[in-house]
Amino acid sequence: MVLSVKGLVKSYRKRRAVDDVSFQVGKGQIFALLGPNGAGKTTTIKCILGLRKPDAGEISIEGSYSYLPEQKELYRYMTVEKMVRTSESISRSFDARKAFDLLEEFQIPLKEKIANLSHGMNTLAYLSLILAEDVDLYLMDEPTWGLDPLMRSKVIEMIRKLPQDGKSVLYTSHILSEVEKVADVVAIMVKGKIVEMDSLDNLKEKYVACVVPKGQKIDGYLYRSMESEDVYVVQKDKAAGQVQPADFEMIFEALARGVKR
Amino acid sequence: MWFRVDFSSHVPVYKQIKEKLKLLLLSGELKPGDFVPSIRTLANDLGVNVNTVARAYRELVAEGVLEPVRGEGYVVKRLNLNELVESTLDRFRNTVEECKRVGIEPERLIVLLEEVYGRRDDGSQCEGTREEL
Repeated sequence: MVLSVKGLVKSYRKRRAVDDVSFQVGKGQIFALLGPNGAGKTTTIKCILGLRKPDAGEISIEGSYSYLPEQKELYRYMTVEKMVRTSESISRSFDARKAFDLLEEFQIPLKEKIANLSHGMNTLAYLSLILAEDVDLYLMDEPTWGLDPLMRSKVIEMIRKLPQDGKSVLYTSHILSEVEKVADVVAIMVKGKIVEMDSLDNLKEKYVACVVPKGQKIDGYLYRSMESEDVYVVQKDKAAGQVQPADFEMIFEALARGVKR
Repeated sequence: MWFRVDFSSHVPVYKQIKEKLKLLLLSGELKPGDFVPSIRTLANDLGVNVNTVARAYRELVAEGVLEPVRGEGYVVKRLNLNELVESTLDRFRNTVEECKRVGIEPERLIVLLEEVYGRRDDGSQCEGTREEL
C-alpha cells in the first residue's frame, strides 16, 4: 500500500469539506478521485500532503511523492529553462534531462517566460516538472486542466504508463475525459463524501437507467426529471419501470447531482 | 494488435476486448496455437489500463479460450462459442424488439434475414443485390 487514508475529516468554519473519507492506493495503481466542483477533492489531497491540518483521520504515505497543485502557479518572472534548473537545485529526485525531454514533447519554448505561457502550456510545463521527479507516488490535482484534446491524450498516455515502472498515481478531475478510463479505481466524491468507489467496468455493470412515472419512489439517483416521467440511475437489483443501460457519464452525473430517493 | 474500444459505451471495456478476440478467432485471424499479445503489449496498443486487459484474459482463460503458458504468455486454445452466441442473440433480440415497437412487420425481417444469409424461399442463392423490401 503506497497511500492509505482512513476516516479523514476536515471542516472550514462550519462547513464539512471532507466528511469521513477512506481509501487506499496500492503500488502500481492509478486512482481517480472524481467529483463536481467543491466536492472536497483538493482539500483531501492537501490533507494528505499536510498542507491542511485534518480534524480527524489517519493518513500514511509509503515512499516519496510529487504534487501537481490545482493552482498551477510557477514563478512568473522565470523562463521555462530557469524553472527546470531551479527545480534541479532544490530536489534530489529531479531529473533535468527528463524534464527537457518532456518539455520538448509538449512543444514548450524553453526561453519563454512563464508569464507568457497560455493556460494549457503552463499546465504542461508544470506537468513536465512533476513527471521529471523520480518518485513512488504522483499526486495530481486536475492534470488535464486547460489542455486541448491532443495534449490531453498525450498526458493520459503518460499517466497510464507510470505503473509499468511501479509508480502509483492519485489524481482528481471534475470533468470526464479519457483520464478516467485509464484508472484502476474511480471514487466519486460528492459534498465531502465518497459515494461510490470501484473499477469503471464494475460500475458500468452495477448501474442501469430506469424511466418511471413522475413521483414513483425508487431507490436510486435522479438523472433527469421530465414533465410526466423521471429517469433514475439505480443499482441493477433495484431496477424498476423501463430499464435501459447506463454509461459512465450518466452514472457520474446522477451520483454527482446527489439527489437520492 | 489494434481495434477500436468504445469508452463511452455502457459495455465494460474488458467485455469489449473479450468479444473482439473471439471475433478474431471466428474470422480465422487468430488460430488455435497462436499467441495473443502480452497483457502489457495489448494494453499499450489499445491505450487502456493493464488491469482491464488482465481481466479480459483471466475470463478467457476461465472460459477455455486462452491458456497461460508459463513465462511465454497466452496461447489460443479453442473458441468457446456458447457465450458469444448468447450475447449476440441477446443483442439481436433487443433489435427485434425495437423493430416491433417501430411497427415493422415480421415478414420484412424474414426477407432481411434471407438477404443477409443469402438464401431465398425456394432455396436458391441470392445474388447479393439488395432488393426492394
